[in-house]
Amino acid sequence: MKNFLYNDMEFSVAKTSSGWDINRTLPNGDFAVVGASLFKDLGEVDAGIRALALVRKVFPVGIKIVGPNVSHPNMVGDLKIIGPDVSHPNFIYWNKDSTSFAK
Amino acid sequence: MEIKGSVALITGGDDGIGEHVAKFFAKRGAKVAIVGMHQENIDRVVKEIKEMGGEVIGVQANVISEADTAKFIKATLEAFGKLNIAVTCAGIIHDGMMLTLDKETGKVSRKMGLDRWQPVIDVNLTGTFLTLRDAAEAMVNGGWEGLLVPISSVNKAGQVGQINYSSTKVADALMPKIIIGEFLMRGIRNIRCVGIAPGYTATSMLTGMNQDALKALLADVHLGRLLEPDEIANMIGHCVENSALNATTIEITGGLCYPHGIAK
Repeated sequence: MKNFLYNDMEFSVAKTSSGWDINRTLPNGDFAVVGASLFKDLGEVDAGIRALALVRKVFPVGIKIVGPNVSHPNMVGDLKIIGPDVSHPNFIYWNKDSTSFAK
Repeated sequence: MEIKGSVALITGGDDGIGEHVAKFFAKRGAKVAIVGMHQENIDRVVKEIKEMGGEVIGVQANVISEADTAKFIKATLEAFGKLNIAVTCAGIIHDGMMLTLDKETGKVSRKMGLDRWQPVIDVNLTGTFLTLRDAAEAMVNGGWEGLLVPISSVNKAGQVGQINYSSTKVADALMPKIIIGEFLMRGIRNIRCVGIAPGYTATSMLTGMNQDALKALLADVHLGRLLEPDEIANMIGHCVENSALNATTIEITGGLCYPHGIAK
């Protein structure tokens, strides 16, 4: 079994009879399964690389901006009404993980 | 297309019909990516599929976000290397009348606001569109055989109190014809699209409702009971295996009729 830290979360990659399982350690010490029976034909090193790549995609690091989208106001006469706009959630992700930034 | 060995993506796979569809595919030997809004539900379903011996990943995502949609498609490809089946089970309801009248004056006292309209449109319609669009993009670019399955509802026929929900579900039901027509024009022959329109199904949404109201609903169902989610999953499985099914939306209702036995 191999452990790694990503974005302050601890993950483990463990070999099973049907491939590799990736688990995420929860704050209470339990673990949740991120993926099961993956990367069947890979050895430990390659499975670890693929596991990290998958974890980066499942848990992308970044900021989530929640708020109105000012480019889509509802017009009432010449008044622009900018309310909560769930159709434009404005998710923006940085393309680097937390290890790129000072703690 | 064979289910065994294929890769299935299910939005709303952390609960309700989607959870049963995910488990059905896992049992039949497909690799499954579960997408849901609630991490705890995702963790539970992923764990249960792992205990069944299935190959699975779980991704928390909001289907109304293009970035999140790209995220779960990329995660699926990273884990399994391809995508063959996309089922859009993610859906919500916010029922209400378009107009409410004051009992004394007979004038309009309340209108359905965008707060009740827009989220349903976003999740049920825009979310379905984004998932099908990006799944189809992956299938076309990867050259993989595929099936797109928008989940409609029998209430696409129009249900009082559900102007928002019924509007999205009739649009979802129309998608297979448009998508396949477009694929035909573009020479894309290896991807099919079949919508599923379930009737009243035994999910927590219905089993938790007022039992008298539930009894009244079932009075119009010839089968006389709620559909089991596994019966919906079975139908989707049949759509995967029967390549003659294409460009249509199939109702599975147990024989739902309007009052007095008029077919709905």
